[in-house]
Amino acid sequence: MKDFLIRLVWRIFSGLIMVLAVASLTFFLVRMMPGDPVSAQYNQLIMQGMTPVQAENQVRVMYGFIPDEPLGEQFVHYIWSMLHFDFGQSISYEGIGVSHIILNAAPWTLILVFTGLVASFLIGVLAGVMAAIKRSSPFGTSLTVSGSLLHGIPQFVMGLLLAYLFTTLWPILPFGAPYDSSIDPGFNWPFISSLISHAVLPVVTYALSSYGGWLLTMKSSVITVLGDDFILASEIRGLKSSTRVGYIAHNAILPLFTLFTLSIGFMFGGSVFIENIFDYPGLGNLLVKAIDARDYPLMSGTFLLITIAVIVANIITDFLYSVVDPRIRR
Amino acid sequence: MTTTETAKTVKAFKPNIYQGHSFWRAAWRAITRKVSRVIGFLIIVMFTLMAIVGPYLYPKELPIDPNNIYAPLSWKYPLGTDFEGTSNLALIITGARYVLLAAALGALFTVIFGTVLGLIAGYFIGWSDSVIMRITDFFLTVPSFPLLVVLSTVWNFGHPLAMGFILGITSWGGMARAVRSQTLSLRERGFIEAARGLGLSPFYILFREILPNVSSYIGMNLLTSITGCIYAEVGLFFLGVVPFHVNNWGVMLNMAVFSAGAMSSPDALPYLLSPLLALLLLTLGIVLFLDAVDEIFNPRLREDI
Repeated sequence: MKDFLIRLVWRIFSGLIMVLAVASLTFFLVRMMPGDPVSAQYNQLIMQGMTPVQAENQVRVMYGFIPDEPLGEQFVHYIWSMLHFDFGQSISYEGIGVSHIILNAAPWTLILVFTGLVASFLIGVLAGVMAAIKRSSPFGTSLTVSGSLLHGIPQFVMGLLLAYLFTTLWPILPFGAPYDSSIDPGFNWPFISSLISHAVLPVVTYALSSYGGWLLTMKSSVITVLGDDFILASEIRGLKSSTRVGYIAHNAILPLFTLFTLSIGFMFGGSVFIENIFDYPGLGNLLVKAIDARDYPLMSGTFLLITIAVIVANIITDFLYSVVDPRIRR
Repeated sequence: MTTTETAKTVKAFKPNIYQGHSFWRAAWRAITRKVSRVIGFLIIVMFTLMAIVGPYLYPKELPIDPNNIYAPLSWKYPLGTDFEGTSNLALIITGARYVLLAAALGALFTVIFGTVLGLIAGYFIGWSDSVIMRITDFFLTVPSFPLLVVLSTVWNFGHPLAMGFILGITSWGGMARAVRSQTLSLRERGFIEAARGLGLSPFYILFREILPNVSSYIGMNLLTSITGCIYAEVGLFFLGVVPFHVNNWGVMLNMAVFSAGAMSSPDALPYLLSPLLALLLLTLGIVLFLDAVDEIFNPRLREDI
């Protein structure tokens, strides 16, 4: 138990260091930008007739630091306001705090990514077991081929194809926006069903784009386990084949947890494409919009929140792994 | 089978003697073993030729044809035309160079950064290992596509080399980790210990003794990195966060979806589908060919030498 706590504290500590590193990256990136947007904003406010003190305060609210200060102090101010969850003010959404905007966008991304991840994991693992057990039959081979082809298709190609097929060619699903704007949001059936039908295509895109990875890894893992002695022993003892498949699956699924870490990063990264294609109001969409509008405080905040989401998800996965696999707790 | 018979077959076995070009011969044999591999190989050769000679086949400014805007498929325009009446096929062929060159450079940078850092971390262990692995963890955790999008605000992607460099910077993490773990196990092996005993310099050991042993892994990764880089750069252009310097597949996708409204107007559909088709065909080629690469670089899978 003590080891567990030490590990937890250490993981959280290194996660914080990583967040700090990303924060410094975005800070210096905004400073390095051609034309120095912070000073430009400051000068523009002075031109609009503000006094230097007013302009300084305004810039400080927007970016979290003042352009005339020495770089070191600017950095400390920036990090300090960030620790208070204050990412400055958006430029394109005038006068609205960045933290307010990104907190509104975050749930959409989290729901899509989480549903897509769980769906692709379940389907991929099941198909992987089938592909491994029936690997010499045409059914097994076609499963494997479907896995490697889907694994190879990039997310935006998948998204565009699905969007074209199911919203234009056979218009059975709605396109864009998280729900039908003519319906009042609330806890009622029309609203929820509209929410679900709008989420189907993005979620399916997420799921299909990572299903292949799970299938291929699970298949090779199952094939390794099939060669183990305890499987032979259970076969000789005459256990039911369903019991044996249970044993195999439980042992084969363990190596997949390391893949989770990579998959989470991939999914959050993919939100940039998928939310853009389906015009879904999540973090990835916000990031691209912020860059298009040259809204640097919003860009930094969104990027930081995406990174924090990935880091937190990684820490959770790490601990789930040690719960599921007793061997690594020792 | 009796013992004498077995002895006869053992005697009859003649090992192939190592000849200068046996690697290429083995590679050729691995490719021609299955039809699927040959198809994959041909697709890759076709795209490579497209990238090399494609831009010379057309004038520098592609001809526009105002009478044939969004023309349907025809003999004159095999893939239809775009919003100016330029042939989509010409756009795909001339656009291949930037896409494939940047991807090849990106994969090269990925492999170089990953291999060198992985070798150093795995061989010298100690503090250099912990420093390199912390940096690797950072690059593995930060989602690389949003990072690319953010970097696009300060980096000029006009030249394929610049694009390749940034693609390499953001994607070497997995490679470094895998090379490190292989180096860690190799450094304990007898032949490395012997080399160390002979007083050979660490760099000789790293690049002449250990590197050839991880080369199979590197070869496989080079090809998979190329596909990763193609998707990342086409994706960047598709999102439109990078200024359009040159015509390429990503620019076509962006214009088709966000300007031409190809999703809702069937006329512009060939304009959207041509770059998608090119990407899917290339993906198919690489997936089919990877199977052969696996066999070429992994001697255990090879049936003959």
